[in-house]
Amino acid sequence: MAKEGSGSILQFAPFQSSVDEGFWHRLSSLKLNKFGIDDSPIPISGFYAPCSHPQVSNHLTLLAESLPSDSNEGSAMPAIIRGNRNRCSVPGILYNTNTMESFHALDKQGLLKAEAKKIWEDIHSGKAVEDCAVLSRFLLISFADLKKWSFHYWFAFPALALDPSATLVDLRPASQWFTLEEAESVSAECNEWRNSSETADVPFFLVSIGSDSRATIRHLKDLEACQLDGQKLLFAFYDPCHLPINPGWPLRNFLALICSRWNLKTVRFLCYRENRGFADLSLSLVGEALITVPQGWREHQSVPNAVGWELNKGRKIPRCINLAKSMDPTRLAISAA
Amino acid sequence: MVLSQRIHEAFKGTVERITGPRTVSAFKEKGVLSVSEFIIAGDNLVSKCPTWSWESGEPSKRKSYLPAEKQYLITRNVPCLRRAASVEEEYEAAGGEILLDNEDNDGWLATHGKPKDRSDVEENLPSMETLEIRQKETVRSIPSYFGGAEDEEDIPDMADYEEADNVIETDAATLQSTYLVAQEPDDDNILRTRTYDVSITYDKYYQTPRVWLTGYDESRMLLQPELVLEDVSQDHAHKTVTIEDHPHLPGKHASVHPCRHGAVMKKIIDVLMSRGVEPEVDKYLFLFLKFVASVIPTIEYDYTMDFDLGSSST
Repeated sequence: MAKEGSGSILQFAPFQSSVDEGFWHRLSSLKLNKFGIDDSPIPISGFYAPCSHPQVSNHLTLLAESLPSDSNEGSAMPAIIRGNRNRCSVPGILYNTNTMESFHALDKQGLLKAEAKKIWEDIHSGKAVEDCAVLSRFLLISFADLKKWSFHYWFAFPALALDPSATLVDLRPASQWFTLEEAESVSAECNEWRNSSETADVPFFLVSIGSDSRATIRHLKDLEACQLDGQKLLFAFYDPCHLPINPGWPLRNFLALICSRWNLKTVRFLCYRENRGFADLSLSLVGEALITVPQGWREHQSVPNAVGWELNKGRKIPRCINLAKSMDPTRLAISAA
Repeated sequence: MVLSQRIHEAFKGTVERITGPRTVSAFKEKGVLSVSEFIIAGDNLVSKCPTWSWESGEPSKRKSYLPAEKQYLITRNVPCLRRAASVEEEYEAAGGEILLDNEDNDGWLATHGKPKDRSDVEENLPSMETLEIRQKETVRSIPSYFGGAEDEEDIPDMADYEEADNVIETDAATLQSTYLVAQEPDDDNILRTRTYDVSITYDKYYQTPRVWLTGYDESRMLLQPELVLEDVSQDHAHKTVTIEDHPHLPGKHASVHPCRHGAVMKKIIDVLMSRGVEPEVDKYLFLFLKFVASVIPTIEYDYTMDFDLGSSST
């Protein structure tokens, strides 16, 4: 198991979306009371957290709070509530169309490319190092049929594709990669990172291990300090995925950042996962990937190819949810009678 | 909803409006919580079991007697790998009876009593095959809540729009087919793995916490609340677990009705005290969630904590 997949292409488990009923309720109310037929894109926030159970992955979740407030007095309040450890906030954009036809007519490739370009620019401007959540920027297109209370939607999690793909040298449970002493220190430091309100929702970080087997966790911007004191340096991220031999989606743009900004060819990464809210190193993975920096990446000119439209049960189709049961006034009246 | 239930809801709502929240502790005497005790117990749950967090919910539904940022507790994406009904069969098959409280069996803690008349299982010892088949049937026969045929036939078939043009993505680095699958590569697991958002609100009328369930299928699409009842111990489905409006969230959600919570908690507290354990109010939610687990045995939410439950065990 330890060396499984070595030398093969590093494959990432796609992000999965999950939309809370409250999101659609607020979108409907905004559409009716505020936006009207204005279909300009709306900045929204998604939330995610590291995998916290050995058998299920975490999702990029949209809640009512993902949208701006729909009440008028509330408009003075900040639209987005700061995340907590179970809700790391990720910026996204919503294109809500007025008709089914315009929903289908959206230029999906173009929209995905536009979001990928923002990520690409944030990587090169250094914004992604300061505010790493922008690496997981996402896109949502929707058509809200308010007459039937049905919502058609499709998520994309843009990932900059390395060409050629990164190959895997080694991937194993973190508990097997670290020595016992190191593992203990890594767990303790990660738990502390997750418990502090300052860092709990910072999904990308650096783990370095000194010669005394003690781990230190730092922000991405402190890479130089890590390289000085660390014998072992790992690029770590909150991994929403639970699979034992695949890292989750956020690692893709993280690798793009690492190879284009720091010009590394071999990258050791830590897929940080939890069990019941605490660091679990047998569930977490440590891997080593080889990257060939693609042509033109250092010049930052052309935006790399991007992928990331979410599949619906394996098919390239949008999802649909009907909320007539909780939105249709006639049905509500009947059930209330 | 039944008429009597409606009338009771209206009555409860009126009482809640005109009476102030409980401020004096009656935790040991009645098994109930004051508002400030609910906050203390909630803070402790969040700190010991960090998958739980406080939320503020819909601004329009905020309760003035609770702090704005601590309106209710929630843990999201909790796995539920099997339906409760099948688990009960397994207990019964093994001759198991789990009764936490023998002397006064009021139906709360006796979660896996004798099997009721089950004509579909010939004997008390169902073979593995019959179990398997039953599980498949329960899950597969469910019409999907959304996009279900019902009266939605004018929703265009999405297959017509399957996009060959727009979204062609061939990418060797994308892992194909990642369903929310339990570990064994067994087709069945795809169907059985559900996830839940479990929330705890403060019920001002009963002065106890109240548990709410929002279920999702394997592709994280919302489950009809009625289907949630499959994950409720069959002794409680439709009786103590009802489908009602969530006090802080839109839509109908399944909820463990709190009318007996105070009495049950009082009993648990009495048992602890008789064993010489002084119950502390900040542990209330751990005890509470432990007993709620008897109602929703397969939903693996987190309430683990080291307790001193005294020497004897039932």
